[in-house]
Amino acid sequence: MTLLSESPAATADATEARTVLTVDGLHVSYGSTAALHGVSLDVRAGETVALIGANGAGKSTTLRAISGILKARSGSITWDGKPIANLAPDRIVAAGIAHCPEERHVWPHMTVEENIMLGAYLCRSRGEVQRRAGMAFHRFPRLRERAKQLAGTLSGGEQQMLAIARALMSEPRLLMLDEPSLGLSPKMADEVFDVVRSINAHGVTVLLVEQNIHNALSVASRAYVVKTGRIAASRPAAELRNDPDLLRAYLGG
Amino acid sequence: MTLERNVLLAFLAAAALLPALVTDQYLLHLGVVALFYAILATSLNLVVGYVGEFSLGHTAFLGAGAYTAALLSTHLGLPMWATIPLAGLISAVFGFGIGAITLRLQGPYFVIVTLSFAEVLRIVANNWIAVTNGPMGLAGIDQFGITNKGTFFYIVLGLTAVALYLAFRFVHSNAGRAAVAVRENRYVAQSIGVDPFGTAMQAFVLGAFLAGLAGGFYAHYISFVGPEVFRFPFMVTMIIMVLLGGKGTLLGPIAGAVIVTLLEEYLREMQELRLTLFGLIVMAVVLFLPNGLMGFIAQRREQQGTKPAPRAATKERTV
Repeated sequence: MTLLSESPAATADATEARTVLTVDGLHVSYGSTAALHGVSLDVRAGETVALIGANGAGKSTTLRAISGILKARSGSITWDGKPIANLAPDRIVAAGIAHCPEERHVWPHMTVEENIMLGAYLCRSRGEVQRRAGMAFHRFPRLRERAKQLAGTLSGGEQQMLAIARALMSEPRLLMLDEPSLGLSPKMADEVFDVVRSINAHGVTVLLVEQNIHNALSVASRAYVVKTGRIAASRPAAELRNDPDLLRAYLGG
Repeated sequence: MTLERNVLLAFLAAAALLPALVTDQYLLHLGVVALFYAILATSLNLVVGYVGEFSLGHTAFLGAGAYTAALLSTHLGLPMWATIPLAGLISAVFGFGIGAITLRLQGPYFVIVTLSFAEVLRIVANNWIAVTNGPMGLAGIDQFGITNKGTFFYIVLGLTAVALYLAFRFVHSNAGRAAVAVRENRYVAQSIGVDPFGTAMQAFVLGAFLAGLAGGFYAHYISFVGPEVFRFPFMVTMIIMVLLGGKGTLLGPIAGAVIVTLLEEYLREMQELRLTLFGLIVMAVVLFLPNGLMGFIAQRREQQGTKPAPRAATKERTV
């Protein structure tokens, strides 16, 4: 828990990475069913943070609340020092947070290229969109080969790559990935996590929700354990990785 | 996209030749009606095919446009080149107001509330006698001495060209692509920063504008506007055209408009059976051609390995 408390918003100086995202006491309900009971977490610039926990613990719900798709009932979400809770989703994308939803939803009847171009929907400059698309194709050569193909004809792994490429088209400073390895072969999942590492190495902060704890902890620097709508623990990823007993205790094995 | 554009241009060019080849006033009248419906179906398709919500209240905009043109013409004596665009603009204002309320709703709620708006306008037209002349309607709308149907044909053809141009520009604009993105997957569209309400509003207002243009033309062509313009039969005809032709494509509604106009005319002898036959057609379309004729063609082309030009509004998700 020490890691949590040592970076108040005031330490915006260059040596200590500043906190870019703070979630404090977040409550979210689906209708009358409460899903989050006061989730608090923070993410610092340049980090990869993983949210791990059982099915239905509230990991995806947390991401959806941050991206504005779900309304926060109470609590605050602060991005870059500004409150963003309950802002419209398009405002949040414009502010620099991209959300790559689970189940790798692509638009199956659009081509790969159209999917990618739409990712830069909020960018009004055609040249800029072209430049970003060029970068996306550079990063994902396999998508370049399939640029004119309908997205629905891609393999699962390729669709996941496409969903990530599309999310990056808004040039986010924070990329939120929801279950990027879901339903992928271990080899494909490894490739996806290599991509996540390289995105992070290029300076994009990553907040990751992942069922595959081994993979999540191999890519993240810190992890939050989410349990029944609350944060049960926050630890450096290495600590959790090397202590299976601790992990089991948190996740209820 | 280019194929689609070329077919649209070819259609307009072919239509432009019609009055030169045909002088029969009855056939030209059919052509006028078909183009009038092509505008209406195109405008309804923007809502049904691109917003992805089923509007049963599109006659609100047809009627608003028709009454606007009728009132401007009979009271102020404005010429047709002024009344028809103004009819479109006033309808667009109605579209903005009605859209601001109804586009917050989805599914059956949207259907019912749009329907009730059209019904409210019909009742107003029926009872606000001082302005609308009630059930008697507004008669004697100026036709500016045009007696040749060929002239009316060119006017409605010009409006059709405007409607198709605007619809084409919208569909291939960022907003149009965003509308398709919302229709196919609202949640992902939001995740890339699309505002579903805003894009739906653009399609809805444009649809209202085009329906208003059609209404304005109708007022001058028939020279009479009564509360019937808000009634359901117009709505049914528009829906059949959009569904038969293929919603979510630009060519579909035009094909639908031409086919249904001709069918309606040639089935006229079977007065009673006509509506029954239309019912059967709708059922057959829903069962066998869920994406209409254009969806069917696109599917065939896809199976043959070529990329389809008109993208069908296919609802089923490929795995």
